[in-house]
Amino acid sequence: MSALGGAAAGGEGINPTASVIGIVILLVALGITFFIASTGGAIALIGIIIGGALIGFGVHFVPVGGAPAAMGQAPGIATGVAMLAAGAGLAGLFGGAWAAELGFAVALGAGAVGGGLMMAITCMMVNVIYVFGMGIPSASGKVDKDPITGDTFPEYKSQGTEGHGLPFISYVGGVIGGTLGGLGGTLIYVELLAVYEAALPVIYNAPLEEILPVAVSLAGIFAVGMFLVNAVLTAYNITGTIEGPHDPKFKRFPRAIIASAVASAVCGMVAIMVVAL
Amino acid sequence: MVENLVLGIGVTALAGALATVAGAAEDTESDIGSQGDPNSQVQLAPQMGYIHRIFNKAVSGEPPAYGLWCALGAGVAWAFMAINLNAILALIVGAAVAVFVQGVYATTAYLGRTASLAKFEQPVYIDILKSVTTVTMAHAFVAIFTTISMCYLMVAALGHPFPLPLLGLVWGIALGAAGSATGNPFYGKERQYQEQKFGAGVPISASGNIVRYAEAGERSSLDNGWFTSKLAGPASGLCFGLIVFFELWRTVLFEPFAGGWGAVIAGVVVILIFMVIDRFIETWARTTFGPYTEAAAAEPEEATS
Repeated sequence: MSALGGAAAGGEGINPTASVIGIVILLVALGITFFIASTGGAIALIGIIIGGALIGFGVHFVPVGGAPAAMGQAPGIATGVAMLAAGAGLAGLFGGAWAAELGFAVALGAGAVGGGLMMAITCMMVNVIYVFGMGIPSASGKVDKDPITGDTFPEYKSQGTEGHGLPFISYVGGVIGGTLGGLGGTLIYVELLAVYEAALPVIYNAPLEEILPVAVSLAGIFAVGMFLVNAVLTAYNITGTIEGPHDPKFKRFPRAIIASAVASAVCGMVAIMVVAL
Repeated sequence: MVENLVLGIGVTALAGALATVAGAAEDTESDIGSQGDPNSQVQLAPQMGYIHRIFNKAVSGEPPAYGLWCALGAGVAWAFMAINLNAILALIVGAAVAVFVQGVYATTAYLGRTASLAKFEQPVYIDILKSVTTVTMAHAFVAIFTTISMCYLMVAALGHPFPLPLLGLVWGIALGAAGSATGNPFYGKERQYQEQKFGAGVPISASGNIVRYAEAGERSSLDNGWFTSKLAGPASGLCFGLIVFFELWRTVLFEPFAGGWGAVIAGVVVILIFMVIDRFIETWARTTFGPYTEAAAAEPEEATS
């Protein structure tokens, strides 16, 4: 059917054996963290795992068209999945980290809104370029009708393409993806910051005020790193391009959530071990 | 309190302006160097028998590339500031060091990627390497310097907790994401496939058949920069400028309200406003251009020819 998409690689189901192995690895990581860093460390790791899963889930919402979108051959944003998700999520992390001193809930809210805002502006500018720069209306290649607005697409697809631009459902998907990414990234950051703020003053035998820049830097670097791990992992699950929540590939998200949770558990364990050992 | 607020708004405006310049320079740099997704066609063209003189330096995606260069520039600047060098000078030195790394990447990427096309008889043009690499470096310098200056303002004037190199990484990745998302379609569709119909996507069957000739002689990547700087560059700048401005504006102005929730609510309102604007653009395009049906096909073609 598609000259661009080809056959779906990897299928859409969950591999039971791989999932069980993954969950065992997750539990082992959680157990080791509990053994070495006690209950506080284990609770922080659970927060990190949830954050990673949120990032993995959120990336599936982001409409990414890759190279075909750059020629108006396929809908979506003309860049890579992991790249765009990282851009939005890290913009969210910026806002979340800034609000971290105001409390857990405010920081998460600020991070989520930061990621959503980045995507809201980027998606709008994509349509500005398509419409005012290239004279091309939005049309989905995966569905005939927009599930939100009811707009029909087949007659708005130019000849020889799979659609183009960003239909409203993809726009909303982008904003949701950015929001979840910012939320997940900030959750990882806040959890790690709490661990480092508790441990570093003891290790260096210094007041928290002196140690705070080190704690913030360490938590920030690990949060950025874990964000990229989860975004790239999810990009492999998506295999190329995705239009958003209405794309059939979206149904693959459960296995990405498992993979992201496992990867976050292992990475989070290492991040906590840095100060716990 | 009021003085702090006024200072915060001023810094927000300045950071937004710097981000706008950064976005425009980043997109123009990536279009001249052919770094974004449209470079897939530059790489594909010789394989389809279309030999060209377009630069070919897709080192990586734009976001990680700019993440690296901005983090490097910010890191060097931060190190010089730590030994009490003047901040402006430190930022210039940091950006200059990062640009040399960008130049090395651009050179090796062009040589490596083009040499890999040797079996399709695509030559490596040394004059292109000499003339285009330095132009991409100049644009990269503007993009990196403005981005790390913006990051410095966030740390020094607005008190963001992240250290300068980490902010360079975060905003470098966001810069690349915004620039590639906004600018790539214009470079890919409107420039590389300029001979295809306006107002429609490039048919998949035309893949690889990029425009290779200019008014006189063969098209150079510098021509692509001239073309894309008319819309894709400024639009990318506007995109990144809006992102930075609203991210700072909502925090600086509304964070004191409702224990920090004011900034969150302001962000949600701004998102909803942009959503409405986007929907207006989408419906405007549908009603103005019309569908690509047999009956309506003649009108848009006449209007754009």
